[in-house]
Amino acid sequence: MNPSTTNRAPTATLDPPTLRLSNVSKSFGATRAVDGVSLEIPRHEVVGLVGENGAGKSTLLKILTGLHQPDSGVIEAHGTAVRFRRPQDAVAAGIGVVHQEQSLLPNLSVAENIAMSAVASKDQATRFGFYRWRQLNREAAEVLGRVGADIDPRTKVGDLSFVDRQMVEIARALRVDEIVHVAPLVILDEPTSVLERDETDVLEREIRSLKKLGSVIFVSHRLDEVLRICDRIVVMRHGRLVADRRTDSVTEEELFRLMIGKESRAAGRPATGRAEAAQPVLEVEGLGRAGHFTDVSFALPPGHCLAIVGTLGSGREELVRAVYGAEPFDRGTVTIDGEPVRSWSVAAAVRKGVAYVPSERKVEGMVGGLTAAENMTLAHTPRHARRGPFVNRRSRARLAAEWFERLDVRPNDPMLHLDRFSGGNQQKVVMAKWLMAEDLRVLILDHPLRGLDPGAAETVNAQIRAAAQAGAAVVLIADTIEEALAMGDDILVMRDGEVTARYDLSVDSPTSLDLLGRMV
Amino acid sequence: MTRTPEDTTLEQRTTAPATAAAGPSRRRLGPAAVWQTVGPLAVFVALFALVSALNPAFLGGGLRILALQATTILLVALGQAMVLHVGSIDLSNAAMAILSAIVLAMTLGPLAAAAPLVCIALMTAVGAVNGALVAYAQVPSFALTLGTLGILQAAALVVSDATTVYVTANREVLAPLFGTAMVGLPAGFWVAVVLAVLLWVLLRSTRLGQALTAVGLNETGALFSGLRTRRLKVLAFALSGFLAGVAGVMIIAQAGAASSFGLGSDLLLPGIAAAIVGGTAITGGVTNPIGVVFGALTVALIPIAAAAVGVTPQAQSLVYGAAIMVAVALTMTRRNRGVVK
Repeated sequence: MNPSTTNRAPTATLDPPTLRLSNVSKSFGATRAVDGVSLEIPRHEVVGLVGENGAGKSTLLKILTGLHQPDSGVIEAHGTAVRFRRPQDAVAAGIGVVHQEQSLLPNLSVAENIAMSAVASKDQATRFGFYRWRQLNREAAEVLGRVGADIDPRTKVGDLSFVDRQMVEIARALRVDEIVHVAPLVILDEPTSVLERDETDVLEREIRSLKKLGSVIFVSHRLDEVLRICDRIVVMRHGRLVADRRTDSVTEEELFRLMIGKESRAAGRPATGRAEAAQPVLEVEGLGRAGHFTDVSFALPPGHCLAIVGTLGSGREELVRAVYGAEPFDRGTVTIDGEPVRSWSVAAAVRKGVAYVPSERKVEGMVGGLTAAENMTLAHTPRHARRGPFVNRRSRARLAAEWFERLDVRPNDPMLHLDRFSGGNQQKVVMAKWLMAEDLRVLILDHPLRGLDPGAAETVNAQIRAAAQAGAAVVLIADTIEEALAMGDDILVMRDGEVTARYDLSVDSPTSLDLLGRMV
Repeated sequence: MTRTPEDTTLEQRTTAPATAAAGPSRRRLGPAAVWQTVGPLAVFVALFALVSALNPAFLGGGLRILALQATTILLVALGQAMVLHVGSIDLSNAAMAILSAIVLAMTLGPLAAAAPLVCIALMTAVGAVNGALVAYAQVPSFALTLGTLGILQAAALVVSDATTVYVTANREVLAPLFGTAMVGLPAGFWVAVVLAVLLWVLLRSTRLGQALTAVGLNETGALFSGLRTRRLKVLAFALSGFLAGVAGVMIIAQAGAASSFGLGSDLLLPGIAAAIVGGTAITGGVTNPIGVVFGALTVALIPIAAAAVGVTPQAQSLVYGAAIMVAVALTMTRRNRGVVK
């Protein structure tokens, strides 16, 4: 059998498909999360699964990995009908998964985490119930080597960077082919949303070699990647499978339209009026923190967007967190509206109209156990939504409903706990929390589009532009250089805690390669 | 079910706000949410009915005795619930109540009506110090309040000279608390209930209460939203101290004397148990002070009930332990929706 074949008819007749779903449905209360999905994953094929946040992708994957049981429908693995009652059942059928939300145990070592997959006890990792450390570490090093990650298996997972943790997670999912002696199906749930470009290349190579062994379901919001990596692409919308196309017969535009059911992406950024004479909203002068960043200076007039680019470890995260008062700085000054700040803290920053959308949304950006409406008024409660020390429930509800309408948050129920919403919709609520400020001066965004589908990303971007137009200064750490170039008025390039270049995009027009050259 | 008129009154008074709690913000109440609201009440009513059925004589004045016993437990439990609400624990609040009682017994003579206020202010300050050390010195509350517990116990022994301190004069200042009855129950109990209702309003309807809830649910998220999380923690501990101070006043009003023996250990665990039986989540952010009222009544009822139905003294703590386990299992707030998404 030729592994690189794109014609799946012969494989289908010779061999039952790795996985076949017939009319699978799953409801939560009144919501049909997955609605009559039929899908076939043949061997030696990489299938892309795309859809907006809340389209039902995650639920479908949870069904495939035994975390949810479908209400109806049939799942067949290698030609036999199966029921996954527990995650272990799915692993036994040869399905390995890299979860969108990392599921590693931070207090254990890399090797232990890799060995922890459900059927580890069947192989040679233990003797009399004790770990065989040498063997364990050797195997872990080997599988990490396959994904090109240079990580010591004895490191504690908690000490790794986010990207390294992602690589460990991928390595763990890949082990399924050693454990189960059937053609494996590896599910990658947005593995690249936090990876930098060269790491994505490694992953692409790995996916190709995986294809020789079995099949892959690749979930991503980066449509260009999906088009590059996958043989076939299926699109979900509102719980249904709305399209199933060969990659060569579909364009990015078309996929986008299928996903959101709308016409097309909005055109590029409107030219922002440059008010050069205006007093800077945010001035940072000689800011430094030993071991993290040194001597950073910039000034931002109202309506300006500064995009900071740099690799992980360039100090840009620490820099923006210092500006927000969330982390210390030991030299230099931060000046807001001409007033140098003293005894800087998050609470002080927020009262001065500084806002921060963190990359760790669930931990830092929101309080999941509060309702969406409560989250929106957590930092700033507009005057009409309060009555002295009391909350004016009715007008808060009205306010939340307005913002839900404006940002198209789904499900349209502001009284639902925020942790019940999908990532993109949570991010919209986090944005609303800051846009609610009566006088928003500085908006700091750390990977604001991470893990968002194109529709949600567009909404969030539109809100960022609206905030800038209303006179706020924007500091942006973007997911990609392209995003930085599209959103920024100025670009600051950082490497190892130092500013290596700055560009004024109204004068300069650097290419992404120019920036990359200054980053590494 | 057999009920006294008092029983019905109590229920009507306290369920009204409890059901309103489920009102506008969570419209579609699932069975779990309904149980979270009415569970503590239901457990208390069931236990009360059981005792009344087994020993009809209990209906005679049982509820009055129960309210008497429950008052101090309720006050300490409310303080505990406020601290649990921000994700900490206060192991020292029962010792504060005892110290408050001892100081009050010694100062009631010279200071008269000002003495209770002094004691309450003193304990509020001690609570605030607890909170400040937890929030600013970053000492875990369990360890810190264990330390304060020891210090307060030592202070109680020194101040009282390790004896029982009797009120010598001005006892009539506190007489109305347990000398008068309103709707069949002592006024002191109603004071505690009113405090519970005020706390319920605080958590339910004020921006401050929402901020406290946010700290309990996700302190980092609250901090990054610009809330002054440290001050909020100090406030929770100060409230615990305040309520412990009031509990000390109730002890003196009931007994006219305070003893440093036992050092509040008969109040600490019942206080925690009452908070949890009242539906407070020990992980923080989920507290219904009205539920804590029934939690305290339940916890106070168990030993009375055991005695009323004739459990031998040797077996009473066994019955107490078992009953607490069942009550907690029935009413505890479980938050496991992180897994089922």
